[in-house]
Amino acid sequence: MRRSLIFTLMGVLTLPGIAFAQDAAGEAWLKPFAVIAAGLGMALASGLCALGQGRAVASAVDAMARQPGAANRIQTAMIIGLALIESLALYVLVMGVLVLFVKWPA
Amino acid sequence: MGALDHPPIVRLPGIPDHVTYTWVVMAILVVMAFVATRRVELVPRGMQNAMEIVLERFLGMLDDVIGHQGRRYLPLIGTLGLFILLANLLGLVPGLVAPTANLNTTAACAIIVFVTYHVIGIGKQGLAGYAKHFMGPVPWLAPLMVPIELVSHLARPLSLSLRLFGNMTGGHILLAVFFFLMGFDGILGWALSGTLGGLMLGAPTELIMILFTVGFLYPLKILVAFLQAFIFIMLSMLYIAAAIEDADHH
Repeated sequence: MRRSLIFTLMGVLTLPGIAFAQDAAGEAWLKPFAVIAAGLGMALASGLCALGQGRAVASAVDAMARQPGAANRIQTAMIIGLALIESLALYVLVMGVLVLFVKWPA
Repeated sequence: MGALDHPPIVRLPGIPDHVTYTWVVMAILVVMAFVATRRVELVPRGMQNAMEIVLERFLGMLDDVIGHQGRRYLPLIGTLGLFILLANLLGLVPGLVAPTANLNTTAACAIIVFVTYHVIGIGKQGLAGYAKHFMGPVPWLAPLMVPIELVSHLARPLSLSLRLFGNMTGGHILLAVFFFLMGFDGILGWALSGTLGGLMLGAPTELIMILFTVGFLYPLKILVAFLQAFIFIMLSMLYIAAAIEDADHH
């Protein structure tokens, strides 16, 4: 029931985009979809990135508690892992900025 | 985004901003190197001391990741690291633009790393020996592994450039939005507009936003600047290490 509600909402929100498609304007039809795509995509990417990074930090801290001698190397590996996971959410940001702010030709 | 655009304070005619500020970064690095090596003393003081600390950190990282032959790659890694770090930090100064906030600069750095580690690998192991890297652990898996390895190798410069560009531009957009909100078009304008609501609600909100920006966002941006430079050179060293190791130890 909740999922069909979400889909109905998404369908309703895309109606202005379809209305714009009737215009002869080059890229105006893209704007509503771009806004929804950027917002939804960034929210999903940030949430999933946070989950992944939480797991990475949790295992790193566990390992550092087990072996305090190796804490430096574990911390380095953790930082590298966090940056790599973060970059996946960053690709979504770049795509969102691209879709929202670049003047696509007709 | 039109309301958020603020051009830098120095803009050369006909030359893009990221090129101008790349020259600024180059000039700063050359001056630092000149001051550090003007009169080299056995017991270092001042700029020479600082540069020796930086050099030791780089050498330590190279030894950790690539091994004893890592010192050969110090010029590449050191230059990339210091350039990217300084370029990132330049973006924090209001009125200046970070050259790494432009995809051209980061893609240039990433392509240099990409071409270099292939050349290093081929130079060390020969073309045939290097091609064995792409064939996977067992020879009969080669038709499956070669496309996978090709795609993963092609994804490396893409991810290197996009990661640095996205971090810098994302921070820049965030800061620009906050400055816009805190400025005369935003909360400050509301607080100064003379209405009672503006004064009672706008002024404390403005104060909180200023404290948040100066106390949290700016340190976060400084951390991200250092972190992204570190990640870039760490990944470059890992790619070089993967290129020069024997294919059997894959």
